[in-house]
Formats: sequence, structure tokens, C-alpha cells
Amino acid sequence: MTQSEKPSSESHSQSSLQNIWQAITRAVLVPVLAVFTALIINAIIIRVSGGDPILAYLGLWEGAFGSPKAISETLVWSTPYIFAGLSVALAFKGGLFNIGAEGQLSFGALISAWIGFALPKLLGTSLPWILHLPLALFGGIFAGALWGAIPGWLKARTGGHEVINTIMMNYIAVLLTSFLLNGPLKDPNPFNVIARTPEIAESARLTPLIEGFRVHWGIVIALLIAFAVWWFLWKTTLGFEIRTVGANPDAAKYAGISVSRIIVLTMSLAGGLAGMAGAIEVIALNHRQELGFSVGYGFDAIAIALLGRSHPFGVVLAAILFGAMRSGATRMQFLTQIPVDIISVVQALILLLVAAEEIVRFIYRIKAPKETVVLTRGWGG
Amino acid sequence: MKKNLFTLLSALAIVSLALAACATPAPVAPTAMPAKAFRIGLVTDVGKVDDKSFNQSAWEGAQCGAKETGGTTKYIETTDPKDYDKNIAQFGDEGYDVIVTVGFALGEATIKNAAKYTKAKFIGVDQFQEKPVAGVGGLIFPEDEAGFQAGVVAAMMSKTGQIGAVLGTDVVPPVWRFGEGYRAGAVWAKKDTKVNIIYHNDVGFDKTFTDPEWGKTTALSMMDKGADVIFGAGGKTGNGALLGVAQSKKGFAIGVDTDQYLTVPEAKEVLLTSAMKLIVPGTCDLIKAVKAGSFKDGNVVGKVGLAPFHDTESKVTAETKAKLDEAQKGLAAGTLKTNVAPAKP
Amino acid sequence: MASQTSTAGNRLRSILRVADLGRFGMIILLIIVLMGVVALVGAKENRVEVILASFLATLFSVATPLTLGALSGIYCERAGVVNIAIEGMMLGAAFFGFIASIYLKQAGLPDQMSLWLGVAAAVLTGALFALLHAVLSITFKVDQIISGTVINILAIGITGYLNRQLFFQGNVPHAPGVLPVIHIPFLADLPVFGKIFQQQPVAVAAVLLVAITHFVLFYTPWGLHTRAVGEHPKAADTVGINVYFVRYANVLIGGMIAGLGGAYFTLESVPSFEPLMTNGRGFISLAAMIFGNWSPFGAWAATLLFGAAQALQINLQYYSTSIPEGLDFLKKSQIVGMIPYILTMFALTGIVGRTTPPVADGQPYEK
Repeated sequence: MTQSEKPSSESHSQSSLQNIWQAITRAVLVPVLAVFTALIINAIIIRVSGGDPILAYLGLWEGAFGSPKAISETLVWSTPYIFAGLSVALAFKGGLFNIGAEGQLSFGALISAWIGFALPKLLGTSLPWILHLPLALFGGIFAGALWGAIPGWLKARTGGHEVINTIMMNYIAVLLTSFLLNGPLKDPNPFNVIARTPEIAESARLTPLIEGFRVHWGIVIALLIAFAVWWFLWKTTLGFEIRTVGANPDAAKYAGISVSRIIVLTMSLAGGLAGMAGAIEVIALNHRQELGFSVGYGFDAIAIALLGRSHPFGVVLAAILFGAMRSGATRMQFLTQIPVDIISVVQALILLLVAAEEIVRFIYRIKAPKETVVLTRGWGG
Repeated sequence: MKKNLFTLLSALAIVSLALAACATPAPVAPTAMPAKAFRIGLVTDVGKVDDKSFNQSAWEGAQCGAKETGGTTKYIETTDPKDYDKNIAQFGDEGYDVIVTVGFALGEATIKNAAKYTKAKFIGVDQFQEKPVAGVGGLIFPEDEAGFQAGVVAAMMSKTGQIGAVLGTDVVPPVWRFGEGYRAGAVWAKKDTKVNIIYHNDVGFDKTFTDPEWGKTTALSMMDKGADVIFGAGGKTGNGALLGVAQSKKGFAIGVDTDQYLTVPEAKEVLLTSAMKLIVPGTCDLIKAVKAGSFKDGNVVGKVGLAPFHDTESKVTAETKAKLDEAQKGLAAGTLKTNVAPAKP
Repeated sequence: MASQTSTAGNRLRSILRVADLGRFGMIILLIIVLMGVVALVGAKENRVEVILASFLATLFSVATPLTLGALSGIYCERAGVVNIAIEGMMLGAAFFGFIASIYLKQAGLPDQMSLWLGVAAAVLTGALFALLHAVLSITFKVDQIISGTVINILAIGITGYLNRQLFFQGNVPHAPGVLPVIHIPFLADLPVFGKIFQQQPVAVAAVLLVAITHFVLFYTPWGLHTRAVGEHPKAADTVGINVYFVRYANVLIGGMIAGLGGAYFTLESVPSFEPLMTNGRGFISLAAMIFGNWSPFGAWAATLLFGAAQALQINLQYYSTSIPEGLDFLKKSQIVGMIPYILTMFALTGIVGRTTPPVADGQPYEK
């Protein structure tokens, strides 16, 4: 993971606006080139396998940004991506690899939905919006945090690597969700056969942003949270501690930081962010939790975090890009009948080029900045 | 450095332009088609249009419908339940005449969108209509009867008195009904038949019907314990069970949905029959009805049946054929009831 | 982990650790427990030997990809390269081996030959993915976990897309079937238990490779070099061992073995490819490798345990009507299905004994 740090000698000779501009371009250059190159390679692949890349990309664009409704749909898809991307990015900053965003999201959605429909029944009274909505939201956040804390604690205490543990937690979450949605939490309505919860109460719902469109307040919350994560990581002591542990755990230890405590905290926060993604989906969009199919939020989130260089603002941009691709794929399939899986190939290529930025730098002859975060420290133990 | 960058970028831009030039001219956008063209759209649910199962059958039915009416057809595969409305809208907004939605999970979205897109007629495959909704035809099938017949054949052909079934998930009503019908039929034919049914509930929805490896392992495991006729009913997972029987060579197999003799030739020698759900002609006929103007709202009951015996014909005993005949007559006349509920209670 | 027991306890623990008996014993015990549960439940319907034989046959069959995955991991990690791309390598190999066998059959080759050449193609695919991983992580010094994840995502994307594009609408030219069942002479004829020894080639190869890997790793100069590079690359370098070469070679070998594991899915198990058909087994094999303390036999024992968990799920469902009232939760296949994953997490806690990864595991080597 690299972060753009400009050498301090330049700061005096240029105006600060120019500095900011330079910093942004330098940070953004490689990812943008990676995306561009990936799209080119992908076009070649489409052409070679008999499709029409121009029409495909046209369809993609139209489906993503071609109309107010399209933009609304893109934002709908981008919202959970922003949260999930932040989740992975925050973990990266702490030197941890959170592949468990999928499971944390799922569990968060489940608990959120449960609070949404079961709480009024349990308490025997309907709840005011001002109470129910935050409860549903925070319930989901805490559920996700718990799901992340478990692998975090295992790593801190036993050294068990979070890569495998979070992947295992993903599978466990899928099974748990399937079990609950088919049984105890299933919509008891006799006309319903689908494995899903009942709808959540009105008091727990988040309203749409604009009448008639599906885009909802979740996108606003997502942007605010992105800002909050940035502020947390770079403007608070705790955030500093997390980044230090990520950059150099030994140095952190010498500085008196409790590494195990930070590891658990980082994973919990990451889990909470992913849980929020699930919670928002439930309270703002679906108004229930349904047994769907694995969309692959988990791996997409990793790609988004890497593309966004683990920086909250980069993550937002990357999330919108991925949201656009997902959303526009439908139109693309409509026009060209190309399988939607081609999107996975694009994402994989982007990821490959971003991760192997050496390759991009080599192609376009760009110099490399300094700071790196060490992620792989073997399996611990 | 900047010069190199610039050169490279321009080179890439030229490459992209070259690609554009080489590309086939963009086909005329659908909205520019003559208004008279009869257009059919299909939206899938779990799975893709080549899943060798009900999505594929519905798609083939749509294609048949297009051919017979001189119209055109397109499909959209759903990747997330929250996209149901959006996907239906792709067709609705373009003014399609028929929109086929595949799978019971799309039921609500279908009804909701039928009210919005009044020009289109909706065909909901496997969507039971509680009461008729304007513009919606629910194509449902008596899977339990097909399963019943399969169970009769299995029980009569079993030498050990033990038969098994490998199914996708009991959450999907048609699948559950196949299984329960199978059980009912077996017990009706021979009272002490032991029926073991195993569901692939331990994985997510996206894997339940696409795990032939598990199907094969499970079928082999069942046969180890004495079951000698296996009913594989769960998309590709079920087909895996057929392969398991083919490998062990020690029993018989029964397929589902379509005549699996054609799609799983590796199991030719052991495949007795398949409990078929005639989605293709069902969908095709409904589309033709829309074109002809004879489309009716509400439920349309499709046909089910057993596939012919093919290569195993010589092994099927006369008693089996007689019992099957009795069952089919009884079901058709209504005197024989499977007593299987519409969905798992 | 802090050690709180008395010195006598410590003595015992250190002896057990050296002999690794504690680990093996725990694993065997767990497998016996799982078999016992099934036997108890199913005794009403079948004879106990039949149940056990069936259980074991299933166990060995499903453990095959796990074993090969774990061996792949051992080669890479013993040389100091973390490889979490085993999942992607297996998936990619399964796909490309499959289409190779299909196209060869279409070209007119007899079935068996197409299958075996398909296996070769799978092994080659594994090697190619491994080469990418090696180039990224050894030469470009990309973080090894990121490199591995990238390969996983790439494999999923490419196989998913090509699978649709090439085989659309079920226009799959007929596959040449699967590899034949081998009857191990003598043992296959045993009554009841004979079926355990009727396995297909890749399954047999997996078991043989365990022994071969053990021999190579601990009794040959190559193995010595490999371990040296994994424990102390600087020292190995000083002695004249080419660290880069050893790492590249081992990663390639690991890739080939993972490729063989991929062949299990589409050339041995079922003659068809499904997206994501590896279903997490690449990651479980990594856990098996860790659980087995980076040794071939230890990892193999661990994979048998995970195989047992899968066999448990199938068998319990079969006997679900015989499950006693109090143990109702066992009837829910989703709950039982969690067992392999919970076991994996449990394995990683090191509760069975501390595991010692190769010291230089995961660190890119700077000359």
C-alpha cells in the first residue's frame, strides 16, 4: 500500500493550492491509468471473443449515467460499496487484511432487520422513528463489529491469521443467515414462501432522497462517514496509533502502543463499517433481509480499497466507479447480450494493474513514492 | 518523463480509435425498431440462462415463442434481488409486449410492475397467483404429480426397498414438491419403501443448484448404504447425483425438469426416466396466446410428465409399467391425490 | 501464548511437541468422534461396518483437493513465499483442464487420452498462475497476500466469463467423462471395506505425493535448500544457494500441484465446470497446512479431518430421521455445514500446539 507523500523541500517554493493539486494528481495518476489500461485490455478480450466493445461500453455508460434514473441506480449500488471499501481500507491502514466484509455486512443486515421488525413486537408497542431508526442502524453496526472483532481477537490472542479466519467467518455468516431466514426469522405470512424476514416497521426506515427515485439518504451518510473515517485516521491519536501499528508494529510497541488492543479495535471498526453497509441496505432500500445470492461485496471491497489507495476519498471515487459498472452492466447486457461476468474480468484486471503498480509505472514511466505498509507478516503463531 | 507519458497516452488513444474503427457498426438501437415487432423479454432469478434447469427451459420457451410469433427475444440475468425492478424496467420502459419472469422469488416484483407497465403481458414461471392480477399469467406446474410418478417407478424398480433423492433446497417450493411427491408415490406403490431425501441446504442460494460434485458424492454415499434408485432433482446438483449413479453402476437414476437423457449422456445406462416439467412448451404456448390475443390473467397450469425410458427400457419390469399406468390414470382422472402442500409448511 | 502449568506439565508438553503426537492424537480422536456420531445415529438403519466403510470412502474422496492444496502450500511456504492463491489456481486449472479435454476430444482423440492430456493442461495452468504469483511477489516485490488475492479474483473473473462465453446456452460439446476408478490390487477386494481402496487417479496421486513430499523435503538436498531459504535466506545466500531460483522453483511446483488439485474437480469428480466450484477449499487447505505444522503428513491428517466434517454433513442428513430428539440441531444441514469452517478457526488458534511457520515466510528477499 502506498501513500503519496510529497518531499518537504517543495512546500516552501510553491503555493499551497499547487501543492494540493500536485498531491492529488500524483495520488490519482496510477489508479486512473490502471483503470484506463484495464478497459483497453478488456475491450480487446471482448473483441476477440466475438463481442462489440464499443456498444458494450456505450451500454455501460448509458446504464450508469445516461439518465437521472440511471444515476440514482448507480448511487444505490455505490452506497454499500463505499462502506465496504472503507471497511477494508481502514483495516489495511492498520496492517490487517479484512476479507470478511461480506460476512460482516450480512450479519449486520440480519440484526438490523431483526431490530426493525421484531423490536416493536417484543416491547408490545410501536416505537417512535427517532428511537427505532438509530437502534436499527446501530444494531447492524455492532453486529458487524462483533463479526469483525472475533477474528481480530483470535489474531491478537493466538496469532491466527485474519485472512483465513475472516474467510471462515464469511461462510459461517452465510450458513447462519440461511438457517435463520428459513426458520426462526422467516416471514410468517402464510402467502410467503421466500426465505426472508418480514418487512421492517415504518419507524425504522430511511426515506428516499428524492421522490420517485431509489437513491436514499444512505449515500449522504456514506459520504459523511467517509469524511469521518478520514478525520479519525489522520486527526486523532487513536487513528495515529492504528496507522503506526500498520506501518511498523515493532516501532509501535516501543512507543508504548498496545498492539493487540489496536488489532482488535481495528477489526471491530472495520467490521462495524461493513455492518453499516448491510444495515443501510436494509433500512433504506430493501426494508427487509432476504436470502439472495452472493454478490461478492467482499472481493469488490478489496478491489475498491486497493484502487482507492486505502484513502477514504479514493475509496469513495473507486466505489462510485464499481457501482457504475455494476449498475450499467444490466444495460450492457440488454444491448449486447454479453454475459455480465465480463465486469468481473474488468475488475480483476484493474486490481491486477493497481496491485502490480510497478507494471503501470513501468509502462508509463512514473516515479514511485516512498511509504509502504507491511501487510504480510507470515502466519504468526 | 512527461514527454514519454504523453506519447504513450496518445498511442493508447490511437489504439482505442483503431478498435472503434474495426468494430462492427453498432446495431440499430432497440427503440428504433418498427413498432409492429413483437418483443419478448426474459428476466431470470437465481441462476443464468444456461443452467440446464428451469431458467434455461424458460429461455428456450421464450425463444420458441419468438420463432413462432415472428418476434424477437432478449434476456437479462439478475445478479441481486434488489435489481428485480430495474431489470423488469429495462423491458417495460422499452415497451416490450411480453415479459417473462422466471422463478417464484420474482412474484411480487412481477405483480407490482404489471400495474406500472400496462402494455406488457407478464408471464410468471412458477409464480402462483393467489387471485388474478391484470396482465399477469402465472405458469405453474403440478410438480408433485411428476414426482409422484417418479416415486412409483423408483419403488417398483428398487431391489433393496431403499430409494433416495438428492435435491437442491426445500426452500424452493417446486423442488420441495418434487421431493414430497416422490415420497408419496413410492409409498403408494410399495408401502414399506424407505425414502431418504437429502437437501443441499448447507450452502448459499448461489451454490445450491450448481454443485454437481456434492450431488455425486451424496448419491454415492446413499448407494453405499443400500439405496439403489436415486432421484436427482436440483439443477446441476441433481445432475451430479445422476453421474454418481453412473459411476457406481449399481442402481438406477431418475432425472428432473427436462429429459436428462439428452443433457447428461454420461448417465445413459442407468437413467430410467426424468420427471419433467414442460416449461418450454408452456412458456411458448402462453407467448403465442398473447400474440393471438387469447391471453388470460391468473394461473395457467402447465404439463408435467415422465420422459420415455430410453436405454433402460428393457430393464423396466412389467409390474412397474402397470403400476405407473395405474398412477397416471388416477392422477389424470383426479381420483388419485398426492396430498402434497403448495409449499413446505 | 503464556504457559501456566507446572514444570512436569511443561516437560510432558515439550516431549509431545517434538513427537507431534499431541497434534496427531487430537486429530485422530476428532475423526473417531465424528465417525462415532454417525455410526450411533445410523445404527438403526444399517450395519455399523457398512456405515464406517461408506464414511471413510467419502472422506478420502473429498479430502483429495484439500490434500493437494495443502501440499501446494507447503512447497511455497517452506521456501518462504506465502501463497493464498491456491483457490484461484485450482479454479483456473479446473477450468482450463476441462476445456482442453473437451477440445481434444472434439479434435478426435479418444476419451481417455483427452482426459489425461486435460490433466496435463490443468497442471500447466496451475504452473502459469504460480508464475504470475512468483513474478509479482518475488521480482516486483508486491505484497504476497495482495498478489495472491489478485490471482484469486483474476481466476474467478476469467473462468466465469470464458465459461459463459464459450459454453453459452449449454452448447457444451460433450466432455470425455471422468478418469476411471482404479482398483488397488488386493485391498480393493476386501469385503465391505474394499470400496475405500477403489479411488480415482488424482485421489491416489494425492496420497502418494504426501509421502513423496515428505521424502523430498526432509531427505534430499533440494529439500534442505528449500527449507534453508525459508528459514534463513541471508544465510542460504551466503552459502551459495540462489534464493530467487529456489523460491521461483518451489512456487512453480506448488502451482503444478494445485493444478492437479484443480483437475480433481472437472476431470475426476464431475465432467462439468461450475463457477466458483472450488468453494473455499483452497483456503481450508491452507488452514490444514498450518494445522499440520507445515509438514506433509501433518497436513494430510488435518485434511482428513476436514474431509470427515464434510462426510459428517452428508451422513447426518441421510439419517436425519433417526437423530434423537435432544440433538435436533444436528438435523439442520446449515448448522452441520458450519463444522468444517469452525474446525478451521479452531485449528488456527493453535490450541492443539504451537505451530512454527518458516521464519522467513512472507518476507520478500532483498539481496
